[in-house]
Amino acid sequence: MTTLTHNPAASDPATSRPVPQPKKSLITRLHMGTGMVVGIVFCWGTYFVLRHHFSSPYRINHDEGLTDSHNVNITLLASMFMWCLGFLIGIGALIGPFRWLIGKDLTAEEQLYLAGDGQDWKRYFRYCTDHKVVGIQYLVGVMTLLGAGGTMAMMIRTNLVTPGSHFVAPHVYNSLVGLHGITMIIALIIVSTGPFGNFIMPIMIGAADMAFPRLNALSWWVLFTAIPVLCSAWFLGGIPTGWTAYAPLSTQAGPGMNAFLATIIIFALSTAVAGANITTTVVAMRAKGMTWNRVPIFVVGATISVALAVPAFPTFMAAMIQTGLDRTFATGFYDANVGGSGWLYANLFWIMGHPEVYVILIPGVAALMEIAPVFVRKPLFSYGAAIAGFAGIAGLSILVWAHHMYMSGWMPSLNGPFMVTTEFISIPTGLLFLVLIGTMWRGRPWMKLPMLSVYAFIWDFLIGGITGIYLSDVPADNYLHGSMYVTAHFHYTLMGAALTGAIGGLAFWFPKMTGRMLNERGGYISFWLVQIGFNVLFLGMFLSGAEGQPRRVADYAQIFAHANLISTAGAYSVGLGALILLWSIIHSARSGKIAPMNPWGSKTLEWTVPYPVPLVNFDEPPVVTSDPYGYGRSVK
Amino acid sequence: MEHHDDKDLKPTPGDRVKQVLKEKDVRQVLFFFVVFTALFTVLGLWAYPRWMPNIMSKEMRGDESIMIWFTVISAPIAGIVLAFAMRSFIDIQKGDTPPEDGPAISGHTPTVILWSALSFLFCTVAIVWGITEMNTWSQDAIAKESSAMVVNVTGAQWNWSFNYPAQGITTHELNLPVNQPITFNVTSDDVNHSFWPVELGVKVDANRLAITVVHVTPDKIGPFEVKCAELCGIYHAYMETNGQVETRADFDHWVSTVKAQGGAQ
Repeated sequence: MTTLTHNPAASDPATSRPVPQPKKSLITRLHMGTGMVVGIVFCWGTYFVLRHHFSSPYRINHDEGLTDSHNVNITLLASMFMWCLGFLIGIGALIGPFRWLIGKDLTAEEQLYLAGDGQDWKRYFRYCTDHKVVGIQYLVGVMTLLGAGGTMAMMIRTNLVTPGSHFVAPHVYNSLVGLHGITMIIALIIVSTGPFGNFIMPIMIGAADMAFPRLNALSWWVLFTAIPVLCSAWFLGGIPTGWTAYAPLSTQAGPGMNAFLATIIIFALSTAVAGANITTTVVAMRAKGMTWNRVPIFVVGATISVALAVPAFPTFMAAMIQTGLDRTFATGFYDANVGGSGWLYANLFWIMGHPEVYVILIPGVAALMEIAPVFVRKPLFSYGAAIAGFAGIAGLSILVWAHHMYMSGWMPSLNGPFMVTTEFISIPTGLLFLVLIGTMWRGRPWMKLPMLSVYAFIWDFLIGGITGIYLSDVPADNYLHGSMYVTAHFHYTLMGAALTGAIGGLAFWFPKMTGRMLNERGGYISFWLVQIGFNVLFLGMFLSGAEGQPRRVADYAQIFAHANLISTAGAYSVGLGALILLWSIIHSARSGKIAPMNPWGSKTLEWTVPYPVPLVNFDEPPVVTSDPYGYGRSVK
Repeated sequence: MEHHDDKDLKPTPGDRVKQVLKEKDVRQVLFFFVVFTALFTVLGLWAYPRWMPNIMSKEMRGDESIMIWFTVISAPIAGIVLAFAMRSFIDIQKGDTPPEDGPAISGHTPTVILWSALSFLFCTVAIVWGITEMNTWSQDAIAKESSAMVVNVTGAQWNWSFNYPAQGITTHELNLPVNQPITFNVTSDDVNHSFWPVELGVKVDANRLAITVVHVTPDKIGPFEVKCAELCGIYHAYMETNGQVETRADFDHWVSTVKAQGGAQ
């Protein structure tokens, strides 16, 4: 662990003075720009070398049955990974590890420099180890991804506005569906644990920083390198497979598929690093007196979420490495013609895929559980039930993956057992509802933006949860599987529940992250446009699903026209609401009302520090003497 | 149910129940509980029979009744949750400073236990229902195995073909005699597809070099749709064809027409 020596003068804007910078150190000259230059050089260098190699008569795989498309895949994948490596070298991420190799480490001065001590906005574009900088980087990254994914969603809905609209060509539509899916999945996985897990959580537990600040910066910048790779899918012909990337369709797919593979592999590295870091921080760096029963519920939720991601994502990574090997060296893991199996892919994918939805959901719910007591001015109802709910969901979620494969023909005899485990998830899920409504009981809620999200969550997640019960039932899934009904269901859980939770969290922690209050009027308008539009959109989709419209179709029969028109109308309302929220966020961050230190009267530690939060967060290490939910007048 | 629900919060015996029932909060919760439960019950009973297409097999009838009755039994659960949420929502306070604190209720173990028990009960009902239905389907399939007509279904990018081995024909349309148990042996020539005869209420994936089996007995005459329910490439949306359930005589006539047109193999 790195220990920082705090320089109080430097972090206080009133008395800021130039900080002595490490002279002639390479570190001070590196930033995002140098990273991109080195990355692009590595990428294009690799590309030209390999292309030259494969067009020469002396190429290594001359006689091994590999075709041109295999060679193209090798070239592209290698170039993408070299971009990633080049970027990390160029931004200085590998200076520390290199020093270790030669028996040295960064000097204390250099570490302070990396922490961004006393630096201006430029630190957001450097390899900065301050968890608050990383939190803001994640926030901007998440918003960018949500914007891209949302734009694709608008294009999808526009294409579906009427039967035979042909707004986009079928192959473009398929790419939109797949890239919307993966963009949103990546965005939602990091939407709470990225910004709030990095910025707020260490302060919440009374820590000076994350356990591994350099890994923290690494997790963000590795994720950053995945974004151009994902975008490159558009320029390489798109992906035809949806975000599930089922083999053998993915093996047969064009060069754009390489971008998808590379993105997942890079992203899995980032989450592994972030997961290890967050888990260690919470286990090892809590303030004195913060026993396990005094840890704020958001911290518990975020920890369970990232801990669940640690075993889940490597299987996705493995699945993608195998897809990559099939595409580059014709290994045939998933190719039935040479003894492989597409079911192998489906299993690996869903062994990640189901825990992953709870990786997304749990931190969103946990943020709302953090919010509800503050605004209802009551203690969290049954802290123990909340933890039991999270832990129960996390535990069961690794035993349910094959409910995505009821209709795949793989082991029909296992459908019964998987139905049982899946249905049982509704018990811990029910506890989450109990905690929220119990907290509200006999309270008079203070209606502010964060609290609105709690209500929206209850409505949306209730619908998402109940429709999940039909889908987990094998006979009903005979009808529903692969239909729009599924799409509507998981949007209610992922968007209605997890994203609503994250937006609530943003409204709640915005004053601490930006020093200003989030514009209320913009927030309200956006909230109602998004929530009403969302419900219209996906109730319409439940309708088209029940009528029998398959999902991921670029066109549909006349009988689904009404339902799709309703959905598209709702989608535009969501889009408009999202734009207003974006405007509110940017406007408020620049010129919103200055926030007091603790605008909500909350009792968690992050509200005891001023804005801007000092480099090591607390002048004196805090000592915790009670649980964070001591609201309320005593009863009787 | 309403009285029961009320006890969850304050398990007070006898007279206390009456007293609690007089409280404004409790009455509001009961009111919203009744409203939301009724709303969801009506939605389940009304919506699914209208939304879902024609029922043309016992399996489809099973699918639809699960949709309807799961909605009805979930209605009280949705009712409880939404009632508490609505009650607090109508009592919101405005202002720029945090309002007064509410009562310090930091948990209530009997409520948590009762809530978990109710969830467990609900789960068990859903599981038993599902397993019973699955069991009926597979017993049906076993009983009818000897009398079943085989149709070999092959998915390819982007069409379906149907081979009737007993009749010796291969077509791109799926005609089936009514009340005849059918066994579909499903496979794919290329990537994964999913064979979905919509109104028959069954579905199974088509995989390259693997045969997946699904049984159904169509019991109503009429047209139905055959779709692909697994993204399979550019023209996935158009990978659909017509099906027809018809009398035995019509079916035999269709078979001979197909043979005459050269669809025989």
